[in-house]
Amino acid sequence: MDNTVGPSEMIVHLGPQHPMMPGPFRLNAKLRGETVVDSEVEMGYIHKGIEKILESKTYLQGITIVDRICYLAALTNEEAYVGCVEKLAGIEVPQRAQYIRVIMEELSRIQSHLLGMGEYASFVGFVSMFMYTIKEREDVMSIMDSVTGARVTHSFLRFGGVKDDLPEGLKEDVKHVFANLRKAIDSYEDMYSTDTIYKGRTVGIGVLQAEAAKDIGVSGPPLRATGVAFDIRKAEPYLVYKDLDFKVCTQTAGDVFARVQVRLDEMRESMYIIEQCLDQIPNGPLFPEGTAYGRRSPVMRVPAGEVFHRVEDPRGEMGFYMVSDGSDKPYRVKIRGPVYPTLQTLPPLLKGVNVADIVAIAGSMDTCTSEVDR
Amino acid sequence: MDAKTMIDSLSSQFTGTIYDVSVESDIRIIAKVKPENVKDICRYLKDKLSFGHLCCEFAVDYPNRNEIEVVYVIGSYDHPVVLTLKAILPRDNPEIESVVPVYWNANWYERETYELFGVKYLNHPDLRPLVLPREMLGEWPLRKDYKGFPNKTARNLV
Repeated sequence: MDNTVGPSEMIVHLGPQHPMMPGPFRLNAKLRGETVVDSEVEMGYIHKGIEKILESKTYLQGITIVDRICYLAALTNEEAYVGCVEKLAGIEVPQRAQYIRVIMEELSRIQSHLLGMGEYASFVGFVSMFMYTIKEREDVMSIMDSVTGARVTHSFLRFGGVKDDLPEGLKEDVKHVFANLRKAIDSYEDMYSTDTIYKGRTVGIGVLQAEAAKDIGVSGPPLRATGVAFDIRKAEPYLVYKDLDFKVCTQTAGDVFARVQVRLDEMRESMYIIEQCLDQIPNGPLFPEGTAYGRRSPVMRVPAGEVFHRVEDPRGEMGFYMVSDGSDKPYRVKIRGPVYPTLQTLPPLLKGVNVADIVAIAGSMDTCTSEVDR
Repeated sequence: MDAKTMIDSLSSQFTGTIYDVSVESDIRIIAKVKPENVKDICRYLKDKLSFGHLCCEFAVDYPNRNEIEVVYVIGSYDHPVVLTLKAILPRDNPEIESVVPVYWNANWYERETYELFGVKYLNHPDLRPLVLPREMLGEWPLRKDYKGFPNKTARNLV
């Protein structure tokens, strides 16, 4: 961005600490009157150097580190990391463990969307919505807590399987929670689609066209809101997703309203996936039999090689590129987060909008700065 | 179109500039490319083979071989094949042509690779540090011989 200001122009810095910013990044917006002329994003306020840290940790220790890339998607981050090691070391995950992973990852998608959507509603001034969604999210978190033993950073996946089996009575709990959640989601949709102020703030705002979105590398709900049915679970199925019936939720408008609608639909789809999993889940071992892999992971060396493994995060395509040199620590890990390209689209998307819409558009991307900075 | 025909089309178009091609599986290809041709190859991939989605771009440091590898992971919205291109640069003076004119989102990846590894991207629109403070430029913290960790990171706290 050119920092010189002309007549009746000014530069406004939003963030890094601002109650209405989705995470600590700074947005420098050049305004002419109420209109944004140009803007730039400044990153690095919570750069943790996770890629460097992973190079000095053993493979098992890395699981707890990748949890902390983004606390809302801890389980999918683990899946991407563990999947890389499993591909390199040639470990087959047993069916039951794969189903448990799918259940947990879909639950984490639901809780992430509930928080992202509720937080987003409060960005546009609909603060009560946050209270509604956080209440339902608590129930989902309790289910996850009962399986993994943690609420946020789970460290639940192990190489070749999962740490614990599902507890007894989970199916009834899930049934009970989902019955409430379905009603709640219907009521959110009802509120969103009838509230004229909310619609005035969101319909037709921040429109991203399908071709432009593909060109700038967006993935996840912002891309699906433009009508492109791109989902890693369908495009490149991992775990047991190819045995499950689900559809990729899309909208065509590409505006802020459509992105929120995609998240609402995805939560319904995730619930459907979890119910199928709970019906279909076979009995069996949690770890491959006849190998050393178990609840206590062995001290392991991973064969030299390179692998790229990607999964569908709540926010889009999460990929890990791992280079192994045959030792007990990864040689290099690259984390390809979904929000990184999404946040990059803000400057072109914000050109020409009103100041009041900056937060509406930035929030609708459901950005997680922790993941962009890593 | 499967991985095999794609790689045939690519190697016939760019004879000699693509080498060491290995098809890992139906949906994964790894190939090495000459650094000076990266932009042309990316343009061809995007226009002709519908590789329109740059998953990521980063570098790997190999001090033993005195090399830095710049890796491009390129996927597609239409087919599941993911192509990994590697360009090998000398470690003392790593320079490569920027692919921002082809893949718009390479901008931040290249800025990050520049500040962490010191890979200079020629004709990049805006080569500034992205995640690190300006005063750390030149230390290249993700190279294997970086000794600053953890002392350098605590510098500002004392």
